[in-house]
Amino acid sequence: MSDAIEAARPLIAAQALCKTYITASGASLLAVDRVGLSIGDGELVTIVGPSGCGKSTLLRMIAGLDEYSEGVLKLDGTPITGPSRDVGVVFQSANLLPWMSVRDNVALPLRVGGKHTAETGRVDRLLEMTGLGEFGGRYPYELSGGMQQRAGICRALARDPRILLMDEPFGALDALTRERMNLELQRIWQQSGKTIVLITHSISEAIFLGDRVIVMSARPGRVLRDIAVPIPRPRSLDTIIAHPAYGEIAREIRGLLNAEGTVD
Amino acid sequence: MSARPHSGPNGSLIAGLGTLVLLAAWFAAVRFLHVPSYILPAPEAVVRALWSGLAVNPASSLGYYLPLWSTFSNAAVGFLLGCGLGLLLGSLMAEFITVEKLVMPYAFALQSLPKVAIAPLIVIWFGFGDGSKVAISALLAFFPILINSFTGLRSVEPEKLDLMRSLSASRLETYWLVKLPHAAPFIFAGLDMAVVYALLGAIVAEFLGAQQGMGVVITQAQAVTDVAGVFAALVILGVVGVVLHSTVRRIEHRVVHWGHRGKK
Repeated sequence: MSDAIEAARPLIAAQALCKTYITASGASLLAVDRVGLSIGDGELVTIVGPSGCGKSTLLRMIAGLDEYSEGVLKLDGTPITGPSRDVGVVFQSANLLPWMSVRDNVALPLRVGGKHTAETGRVDRLLEMTGLGEFGGRYPYELSGGMQQRAGICRALARDPRILLMDEPFGALDALTRERMNLELQRIWQQSGKTIVLITHSISEAIFLGDRVIVMSARPGRVLRDIAVPIPRPRSLDTIIAHPAYGEIAREIRGLLNAEGTVD
Repeated sequence: MSARPHSGPNGSLIAGLGTLVLLAAWFAAVRFLHVPSYILPAPEAVVRALWSGLAVNPASSLGYYLPLWSTFSNAAVGFLLGCGLGLLLGSLMAEFITVEKLVMPYAFALQSLPKVAIAPLIVIWFGFGDGSKVAISALLAFFPILINSFTGLRSVEPEKLDLMRSLSASRLETYWLVKLPHAAPFIFAGLDMAVVYALLGAIVAEFLGAQQGMGVVITQAQAVTDVAGVFAALVILGVVGVVLHSTVRRIEHRVVHWGHRGKK
């Protein structure tokens, strides 16, 4: 994927990106500190860091939901000024609308925000792809946590965006469901060829999914290291733990976060 | 929203027994303690009064039907008017800070004022006809809807608003698809109060002077110390209140179907 052209113009690029919050008492709080990022088309990049390290803020800025205070943040060469149709967001804990059926939730992006798109079976194909084919008529509360988050991923894919931003999407799930969702996300990514940026505080999830793992420090969030994961795909949970690089990278990340003194 | 204790067969048995005990005590008090009938009429006197009001030609002015219809229809118009205006202003307040800043102080001041105290003024403005009944009903129904719709619309989880922003949804789309459904349980709680308040408003207007209505039936019975007649009218109003209340509940279960998942 990473040929010369991609290297010259990454899909998501940040330089010296800063975010300062003004607290209620009037003090300014630096949340993200001079972050540099370069994410190529089709990459799956994971960002790992301690709680409150500004990784969610970073993702929200890429999604156009939060403004940045300083620096450069570009999407396909254009500065980000707001939400883009090229970006689909997967929220923590699915964030489905409880009053809509699963199908209506997934179809929501096609019905709002100006340009209305004809569905032409796209919603059903997405539900089918994530094993939710029979559940389109159900309501979110009738689904398990894992199924809800699959519907959340379908919704983010509904407009066929180039980029999927995922903010700790599996954090609320139990360990077994989470492992299954990791496998499924890998499959979706390989099938769809999307660019995915996923935030997690799980080191194993970050390594399992990532082409690269970006390690962030505690607040103010800085990029501590950008680690390539040279483990071939498709990865499985068994083979990855046996791979020598896995232990090495896990130790490296843990070391970085421990040195910060803020590992969860 | 909150789970109410379920009244199973056991619950209705207890309620039935309680009613029997109450009626027996009432009967015994009148019969053996010689409570004068202008304080507490005998149960059979109340039943007789009820019967004489019910077992007449519905078009006769002697029965309950015409006064009840007059009270009910005016309360219903006032209810619809008050709820419509309450929802409209509550929505405007929730959506526009300027409207909130402008209206909130008055809303609070009026809210803490016992609103029936305004009723005599309204009778001066609208006269002794249906206009006053509708106006007082509307006034009483207005506030619970205003406050509840405002509170409900403002309490939407920020992630849901983020979702709509990430989809570049318009303000109207966000209101219609997210805020209003989210506020529906709040609004129904307001409707539940408003429906009883509207009835109360119509009765108060009739106390202050009207040609017909249940309030007139009560004041006329009172004028001739027909306490059994007053009791009978109160029973009718109690039944109407319960029917209205349970109708609102039933509609709520239909509309807010996602909020009652534990109670099916």
